[in-house]
Amino acid sequence: MRLRGWRGLLWGACLALAAALPAHGQRPERKGNLYYLVPTLLDEFQTESVKCMESVFASIGYRVKTLDGQNRSDVQLNQLDDVILLKPKAIILAAVDFDAVVPGIQKARGAGIPVLVFDRQIRSTPSDLTSVAGTVEIGHLAAGEIQKLLEKRHGAVRGKVLQVLGDPGDNYTLDIQKGFEEKMRRFQDVKIVTKAALQWEASNAGDIVESQLLVNPDIDLIFVHAAHLAVPVVSILEGSGKKPGDVMLVSSNGAPVGLDLIRKGWEQAEVEQPLYAQVVGLAMFADKVIAGEPLKPGSYDVLGIPSQLTEEAWGMNLKIPGAVITEENVDDDRFWGNGKPPKAGVQIVQ
Amino acid sequence: MKILSFVLDHLVWLILAAVLAAFCVSIENFFQVQIFINILRQSTFVGILSLGLCLAILAGHMDLSIESVMAFSATAASYLVATGGAGRDWPVSIAFTLLVSLVCGLLVGLFNGILVVYLRINAFIVTLSAYIGVRGLGLVLTQGESIYGLPEAFRKVATVDAKGIPLLVLILVFLYAVFHVLLTRTKLGRYIYLIGGNESAPFRAGIPVRGILLLVFALSGVLAAFAGWLLAARTGGSTANLGIGMLFEAFAAVVIGGVSLKGGEGRLTGVFAGVLLLSSIDTAINVMAMPAYTMQVVRGGLVLAAILLDSMKHAVHKRFL
Repeated sequence: MRLRGWRGLLWGACLALAAALPAHGQRPERKGNLYYLVPTLLDEFQTESVKCMESVFASIGYRVKTLDGQNRSDVQLNQLDDVILLKPKAIILAAVDFDAVVPGIQKARGAGIPVLVFDRQIRSTPSDLTSVAGTVEIGHLAAGEIQKLLEKRHGAVRGKVLQVLGDPGDNYTLDIQKGFEEKMRRFQDVKIVTKAALQWEASNAGDIVESQLLVNPDIDLIFVHAAHLAVPVVSILEGSGKKPGDVMLVSSNGAPVGLDLIRKGWEQAEVEQPLYAQVVGLAMFADKVIAGEPLKPGSYDVLGIPSQLTEEAWGMNLKIPGAVITEENVDDDRFWGNGKPPKAGVQIVQ
Repeated sequence: MKILSFVLDHLVWLILAAVLAAFCVSIENFFQVQIFINILRQSTFVGILSLGLCLAILAGHMDLSIESVMAFSATAASYLVATGGAGRDWPVSIAFTLLVSLVCGLLVGLFNGILVVYLRINAFIVTLSAYIGVRGLGLVLTQGESIYGLPEAFRKVATVDAKGIPLLVLILVFLYAVFHVLLTRTKLGRYIYLIGGNESAPFRAGIPVRGILLLVFALSGVLAAFAGWLLAARTGGSTANLGIGMLFEAFAAVVIGGVSLKGGEGRLTGVFAGVLLLSSIDTAINVMAMPAYTMQVVRGGLVLAAILLDSMKHAVHKRFL
C-alpha cells in the first residue's frame, strides 16, 4: 500500500509539473509528434520517465508517443524501423543495448529525423543530443559513499561488499559495475563479491543475499544496482535477525522505495539519477535540435542543477550530475523519489 | 463445399489479409510498401524458429530449446569476432562464425534427439532442460557481459538488400520454400507427417522412424542456430537476454498457422502466414503508438483472437466437411 501511495504521489507530481510548465498558463502551440522508445516498463524509473516525458514535452507543444522495447534490442530495432516511416519531429531513445541500436539511429538520422538520446549514452555513432546522468558515474558516486561507510565502520577502507547487479545482459548495470569497481580497485582490503539478479527480478536478489549471508557471514555492506532490489534484501536481513545498519545497504537510481528504506534506517545511501532534470534537459534544447540549429556548449542550469553541455565525438552531450541521498538530505524536494518536482517551467534555449 | 474447404484450409491467410486491410484503413501511415517490408524483415527470426518448431511438432514432438539455441548461437558467433565486451576479436572469417553457430545448433539438436529417441525421455522435459541449460551456457561463455562491435561485414548480412528487398527477407522466403518442398514433395516429408500421426505404424512399415526423428531435432537445432547468427548480425552482437520470449511467439505462429500440437497435421504455408500475422500485429501496435502500458494486453488479445478463429475453423471443418 505504501508503494502504491508513493506511485500515486509521483504521478500526481508529474501532472503537477506538467500543469506548472506551460509558460504564463497558455496552451502551447502544437509542434508535432515525438516518439519515445523506452527500454522497458518493468522499472519504476522508466515508467516515471514515460510520464514525465509525455507531460514535460506536452508543455512545450510536442505530443510524445511511447513504445516499449520490452528489454529486447531486436524489438527496439523493429520499433525504430517502423517509427522512421511515420516521420516524427524527433525520436527520443533510451536504448536497450547501446551498440545494437546503432543501425537504427543511423537510419533515422539518414531520414532526417533527429535522435535525442535519453539516459543511456551511445558513443559509437553520432546522435543529435544526449541527456545523461552517466551510469559509470553513478558507480563512481556509489564507490565514494561506500568507501566512507566502510571507513566509518572499520577506521579504514576495508571489509567485504556484496554487489548485486541487475540482469547481466543489461548494459546499465554493467556500466554501474564498471564505475564502481574502477574506484574500488585501489582498496585491496575490500573484498567485493559480485552476483547478478537475473531479469532484475527482486526475488533473485533476495535469494542471492540469503545464500551469501550463509557463506559470507562477515559481509559489511550490500550494494544493489536498483532500489527495488533492496526490498527483498531488507526482508532477508530482517528475517535473519539483523537490525538496521548491522549490514549496511547502498542502492542506486533514487526510487521512492529506496528513500523509504533510508528513512527507516535500513539503507545508508542511495545514488539518484536526476530523472526530472534529464527530461527537462532534452526539452530545453528540443526546438533547436529539431530546427537543425547548432547548440552552444557550456554550463546550463537544468532545474537548478548546474549541468555541462559539451561537444563530443558522438554529438552534443548534456551531463547532469547525480546525487548521493543519505538520511541528512533524504527529504530534499529535488530528488524524484520524493515526487515533488520544482515548480519551474522549461527554460527553452533560444 | 469446395469453396468452404479452400477457405478453411487457407483461413490464416484470409485472416492475415483481413487484418492487414483493417490496419491499412484504420491506421494512419500504415499503408506503405516500406511497412510491409518491415513486417517481412521483422518476421525473419521468429519465422526461422517457427520452421524448426513446426518440423518437431509435425513429427509428434516439440522443441522448447530453440530460443536458447538461437541466443547461444548468436553469442558464440559474436564471441569469436566482436571487438567489444566479451568479444575476442579473433581473426576468423564470418563464414567460420556461421559454421560454429550451426555446429552449436546441430549438437544441441542431436543431444535432444538422442535423449528423446533412444532414451525415450519425454521431449518436453528434454528440451525444457536444454532451454534452461543452453541459455546458461551463454552466460558461462561471456560471464554475463554483453558482446558488441561486430565487424561491418557481419552486420551487413542484416542490412543489405537486393532491389529494396532485405537479404533477411530473401533468406526467410528461401528457407520456407525449401522446407515446403521438402515436406510436400519428398519421401522424407511424407514420413515426418506419418510419424507425427502415429509413430508405431510407420515403424512397422519399415520406415526408419528413429533416424528421421533424430534428423528432425537436428534440423530444428540448426535452424534455430541460423536464426541466432542472423539475429547477431541484426543486433550487432549479443546480450544474455537476447531474443527472450521468441519461443512463445514461435509457438503462437505455429498454432495460428494451423499445425496440430498432436502432430502429423498442418502446413508450412500456414505457419508462414502465422508469423506474418504476429509481425503485422507488432508493427501495427508500433505505428498506432497506443499507450505503452496497454501494448502487451492488446498483443495477447489479438493473438488469442487469431487462435480462436483457427479453432472455429476446426469446428466448422468437423461439422460440415
